[in-house]
Amino acid sequence: MPAPRFLSGLNLNLASPPPGASEPEEAVTEEAGLRPPSGGPLRVEALVKEDEIVAQGAPLARLRDAPEISLVAPMPGRIARISLGPGHVLSEIVLFRETGGDVARHPVMDVRSDREMRRLMQNAGIWPWLRRRPFGGMPHEHERPAGILVMAADTRPLAPDPRQAIAGRESAFERGLAALTVLTDGPIFVCARRGPPLVPRDVGQGRIQGVDCGPRHPQGLAGIRIHDIAPATIEAPVWDLHAEDVAALGELLETGIVPMTRLVSVTGAALREARLVRTQPGADLRGLTHRFLKPGAHVLMSGSPLDGHAARWLAPRHRQVSVQSRHDTALPPHWLVAALTRSARPKPVIPTAALAQAFGAALPAATFVRALSSGDDETAIRLGVLSLLEEDVALADYVTGGEARLAGLLRGMLDRIRTELAA
Amino acid sequence: MIRGLWERETVALMLLAAFLPLAVVWLWFEGFEAVARLGLAALILVFWNLVFMLARAQPPSLAALVTALAVAMLAPEDLGVFRLVLGISFGAVMGELVFGGWGRNVVNPATVALSFLGFGFPAFPWPDFVEPVAWAAIPAALIGVMTGAMSFAVVAGAVAVMAGAAGAGILPEPALPAAGIVLVLLVCDPVTSATTTLGRVLNGALYAGLVTLFAANWLGAASVQIAVAAALLTSLAAPLLDEAAVALWLEQRRRRHGPH
Repeated sequence: MPAPRFLSGLNLNLASPPPGASEPEEAVTEEAGLRPPSGGPLRVEALVKEDEIVAQGAPLARLRDAPEISLVAPMPGRIARISLGPGHVLSEIVLFRETGGDVARHPVMDVRSDREMRRLMQNAGIWPWLRRRPFGGMPHEHERPAGILVMAADTRPLAPDPRQAIAGRESAFERGLAALTVLTDGPIFVCARRGPPLVPRDVGQGRIQGVDCGPRHPQGLAGIRIHDIAPATIEAPVWDLHAEDVAALGELLETGIVPMTRLVSVTGAALREARLVRTQPGADLRGLTHRFLKPGAHVLMSGSPLDGHAARWLAPRHRQVSVQSRHDTALPPHWLVAALTRSARPKPVIPTAALAQAFGAALPAATFVRALSSGDDETAIRLGVLSLLEEDVALADYVTGGEARLAGLLRGMLDRIRTELAA
Repeated sequence: MIRGLWERETVALMLLAAFLPLAVVWLWFEGFEAVARLGLAALILVFWNLVFMLARAQPPSLAALVTALAVAMLAPEDLGVFRLVLGISFGAVMGELVFGGWGRNVVNPATVALSFLGFGFPAFPWPDFVEPVAWAAIPAALIGVMTGAMSFAVVAGAVAVMAGAAGAGILPEPALPAAGIVLVLLVCDPVTSATTTLGRVLNGALYAGLVTLFAANWLGAASVQIAVAAALLTSLAAPLLDEAAVALWLEQRRRRHGPH
């Protein structure tokens, strides 16, 4: 049935126990691991040595190609391990927490110019929280976007509510929004579910606009919203940033300290009790879950059940931990059963109502899926593939039973487009 | 890690569920001969699916049963086993299996088989349906639309144009039962109908328009024959309708966001 545009999308009722407490609790884990943000390998230069004691917010490494951009410590601690791959590609930096450690301070000043704002965000470790489209990953050092999307809505199943994350921090959020206007000549969009307005009237010379998000997934995904209101192109990249990170930027400008906790939901069928915690980026997933697990084998995933991946540390930008029971793989099926079910993959995707809703009725779904699976870059670009990333097709992958592997096809296509442009 | 339901075979199962009321009513009124025809059609289709599975590693699909039902219900009567085997084999192999199986075909195999039988053996009479069978097409369409396997837009487009034509007196009433049954069995097929909302409305409307045109001008044709011919031409035009709908969508986007 065709649903109105605002109500398009799907409601997923995934199994998870009810939360123990409605208010978030502080849960900074004893260990934390810094991993590179998704979007290609990151070549870094380590600024600290193993076993060194660092303050919260102190730079741990800087990018080799852009020395201004640093990765910072999410908590005061001792460096346990720095693993770099060949060519100084960051694998991970692990820290142990030291109680009562220092906090790095940045000079508080009235930042007005684009250059100063960039330098502050890059030095303070906020820059890697930004994500650009097309292609994903953090933006280049000097890139100027055509617009910035602030996500104050998240419709992923079991995700924490961004409005709750910035509750009580409204003035910091407004200050952060005003700071973002320095970085772009285009508009700043604040996407939120209907409710009290988040957009201040007197800030940003009318360049900050509110955008209503529908209640169903994937309406509250940055990619679907960007595809709708401000399509990203090669020449005009669009950034997106979580509302909580905008509030953190506002607090940095006010106090000189980057707040290093974020609202994270810990959910999943393998838990006895779901949790809502404020924890640091790169938190240890075992530390967040070990007292709440049901007995039995399980998988810890950073991210939502749809687009997350098995991990040890909370990935950059992720605000969800999903814990699922692990079903060990059974014996390989009989050859005849295998021939009946597993030959000639991927199986075709049948264009049903479920497929259209999985894209939030944002684009001609069947045409887009065909362009993806046949590798037709030009049609896909015309349909708006440059605004999308893997997480935006994760719901379609889920709905169609993972037969088509759209996320992998999309990543392959984006990489191909980027390589062709570079050539 | 977790997986949803709507893979290819689920859609095929939903289509089968939708056609269940239609099949039961039809078998109830037609009796043993209908059961035999359905069994024969299913047997031939299963055979060809197995051949393609073993020769080309192509997974068979439950949608073969949908094809079997459509062919058994709509094929000309008294053809005999040999002609039926020939027609169904041609439809299944050339209409579906050589393209890679259900989901990759461009025309409905049942439509191909029926057109082949109709044009190849024009002397045999086309079936007539008693009224309850035609009424059973309505629950079929309802179940299909509710589960999302069939498109509401196709049904709406077709019903709107048919109602208009019947109201204006252009579409004779005896053509309606067969047109309705062919609509749910052949035109609403999610794979070979258009895939955009506008394309689907046009798809349904085009089918109804062709039925009206043929009913008015094709002298001496049976109503099932008219409907099957309209379904064949419509499924050939479906990609064109999609192309038009996508071009319109792109044009709207270009006007909103500027050229890229």
